[in-house]
Amino acid sequence: MDADLRQALHDGEKLGLRYALQIPPVAASGLAGTRSGRRAGTSIDFQDYREYQPGDDLRFIDWGIYARSDRLAIKLFREEVVPHLDLVIDGSASMNLADTGKGAAVARLAALLATAAANAQCTQSVWLSGEGFQRLPNDTLNPGAWDGLALTARRSPDQALAILPPKLRRLGVRVFISDLLWPGDPQPVLRRLREGAAALFVIQLLARDDATPPEHGSLRVLDCETGEETELYVDATVAKQYAGNLARLQQAWADGCRQCGAQMTTLIAEDLEAGLNELEAIQLLAPA
Amino acid sequence: MIPFLTYPFALLALATLPALAAIYLLRNRFRRRPVSSVLLWKFPVQSKQGGSKVHRLQLPLLFFLELLILTLLVTAAAAPHWKLPQATRPLIVILDDSFSLHAAGGDGRTSQARAQDYLAGLFRLQAPPTTRLILAGREPRALGGSLKTWTEVSAALAGWRCQSPAAALDRAITLAAELGHQQANILVLTDRKPADAAVSNPRLEWHAFGEPLDNFAIVNAARTALGDQDRCLLEIANFSGTPRTARLLVQTGGNSNALQSSTLDLGAHETRRLVFNLPAATPELHARLDPDALPDDNEVQLLPPIRPRVRVRVDLPDAGPAALANRTLDATGLRAALTDNPQLVIRATEPPGNSVSSNLWTLCWAGAEATNAYTGPFIVDSSHPLATGFGLNGVIWSAAGLTNRPGDLPVVLAGNVPLVSVRTDLAGARHVRLNFNPDRSTVQNTPAWPVLYWNLLQWRIAEMPGLKESNTRLGATVTLKTAGGAVTVTQPDNTVVNFPKTGGELALETPLPGIYRVTMDATTNRFAVNVLAAEKSDLAAATTGAWGRWSDDLERRLEDASLTGLLGLLALGLLAAHLYLVTAAKGAS
Repeated sequence: MDADLRQALHDGEKLGLRYALQIPPVAASGLAGTRSGRRAGTSIDFQDYREYQPGDDLRFIDWGIYARSDRLAIKLFREEVVPHLDLVIDGSASMNLADTGKGAAVARLAALLATAAANAQCTQSVWLSGEGFQRLPNDTLNPGAWDGLALTARRSPDQALAILPPKLRRLGVRVFISDLLWPGDPQPVLRRLREGAAALFVIQLLARDDATPPEHGSLRVLDCETGEETELYVDATVAKQYAGNLARLQQAWADGCRQCGAQMTTLIAEDLEAGLNELEAIQLLAPA
Repeated sequence: MIPFLTYPFALLALATLPALAAIYLLRNRFRRRPVSSVLLWKFPVQSKQGGSKVHRLQLPLLFFLELLILTLLVTAAAAPHWKLPQATRPLIVILDDSFSLHAAGGDGRTSQARAQDYLAGLFRLQAPPTTRLILAGREPRALGGSLKTWTEVSAALAGWRCQSPAAALDRAITLAAELGHQQANILVLTDRKPADAAVSNPRLEWHAFGEPLDNFAIVNAARTALGDQDRCLLEIANFSGTPRTARLLVQTGGNSNALQSSTLDLGAHETRRLVFNLPAATPELHARLDPDALPDDNEVQLLPPIRPRVRVRVDLPDAGPAALANRTLDATGLRAALTDNPQLVIRATEPPGNSVSSNLWTLCWAGAEATNAYTGPFIVDSSHPLATGFGLNGVIWSAAGLTNRPGDLPVVLAGNVPLVSVRTDLAGARHVRLNFNPDRSTVQNTPAWPVLYWNLLQWRIAEMPGLKESNTRLGATVTLKTAGGAVTVTQPDNTVVNFPKTGGELALETPLPGIYRVTMDATTNRFAVNVLAAEKSDLAAATTGAWGRWSDDLERRLEDASLTGLLGLLALGLLAAHLYLVTAAKGAS
């Protein structure tokens, strides 16, 4: 793995020590965990009674009620949950755009979220798109131990989803880190990610060069993923149109997120630390 | 049309053009920029300026504006000028205003008429944009302003009367060159050929319309006072190559009083002078020759000469000096018989200090008992009117040993002793002081004595209002002494010229021959102006022809016109457009 990215993982890990992931109430998972869930479970905390239904575990029949009322009642206990974070990282080459801090910012943000999740006693999985989605090796360990974080894929996340979707944990918190810069309807991607999730957060991570209309002059733009080149003269009109295109793209993703109940925010890679407030604003992070 | 550059080295500044192009090319060189996706670089509408796509040498409008501005400025610095068609060249016509153009040839047409016909034909062929007329008389002068059409020119030609005794053509050509700034075509219309047949001025055409005709002329005429009579002089010339006969008729007071009729037989180019006396009371005299080719010089009028006199009163107490003064005054012949209302008083004492009169002059001849006799050396201001012809060699001048008084102007001095001095009072009257004792002097026995009185009276006459002469030549200036009041001059054609206020002396022009009447105060004086110019009466040199051309065809059709101003204005306009575009672009961004 690139040394810079590894260093960024270490930096993000340190940065994440100040935060804890905010777990939404619906997030739950597993038979035993560290948190009380909303539903009945196997913890020792009493929750309620209900009528016996065939198939219920007979061990939970409250025999005292049966003796007093000759009715079978089941004691319900609060479940114990272990919240889970699925980090879905866009591994396309555009996420490591040359001459920008975008790749390092991806690593720092992922490490930060993973550390914040650990602070919130969450487990995490890190999924990286490429020729399909693959889990990052050692992703359950501290971010410094992660391996294989290579942002070099030529396929966009929607293509990767079509090839091999990630196996996301049900009712987990999902965070999708991408620049969202690919053509196509965001709805299918968002639906796939939102399905079965307790919460979905979409973080659009852009380099400043992506977000800022370029300066005037003649430009030969090179798509770092497809290798497509376009020559043009940038003037005020072109800059305005560029900003309009970006705004329309962001608006499409924002609309999609709103429709499927996801939260979305945009961060600038070079100003990542300043943008963490946005993550607090969408209730993804909270001070530890 | 080929442009010519006044400062071709200024084109070196064109090196700025490739420099500007290099700046733009470097500025517009395509910078390679990796982007996350070209998704954002796909635009449905192209930019107004550069376009979203995409020419390798895509240059903004500002570049071309700057390129054009630089080109215009460099070209303006080189001061280009174009050759424009000759139709834009103005015409200046020099009209010979001498009376010789009145000479009529065999067809009965005068040289002036032929010249006018030529000018009209020139306008029909190619009318110049503007025309100026210059009359070449004794002095060249412009006739009217800048004229546009033949109608205006034709109207202005009414002032071309050909009544001048001379034609200053050379000075008129100089004036025309100045008025035309060396660019106008100059046309000379006369009856003589140029002094140099090879006209070197490429802008000058010289056309003569005269004919070498036989002509009898009165070339000189005078009438002067000679005691109680008037002496008349007439000089008649035969300007032909063969002996000819002419009849001279002399009349006085009108056509009915024929004084003399004689037949003159004159040889080729012979001049005959006739001198005769007339009684002083004879009125104006008319002398007339038979009609010939040139009528102007066939007749003269001579008015009686002016005999100015000064009313002098002698108020000397001593009989000796008084008799001496009276005798001397009578000898001059300039003393009037009357002594009332005197114009000059000879007295023994100074006039009162507050006596101010412009009409009364005094000669103070103060007798002195204690005098010194001076034999010289005498200092005489020879430029003073009193000292004209005044000589004191060998005389004894006895005078009081005085010094010059403040305000007096010494005219004759013996050492530092003023013998004759003059003071001028506030009204302009002169007061002469004579420091002279005749008892011990010899001056009164020498010509210096009557000369002194003659000069004094002549000076007084010269300062008296009125005309000084009654007969003059055409074109001469007549000097009129005035008292400062209004003067009205009636010319022979009854044109009245008023001078509401004069400054003591008036110079009257004499553009026409004939009798002029000058009314001043309550008096009217006359003087006669006669055409007396032998050079112009001699028509032997008159000829017809054309000399010089307005350069060759190429140069005649073209003339320079500078484009610097136009280019500068264009550059300024483009600079304003450049500024607008830059401002608009900033506003848009």
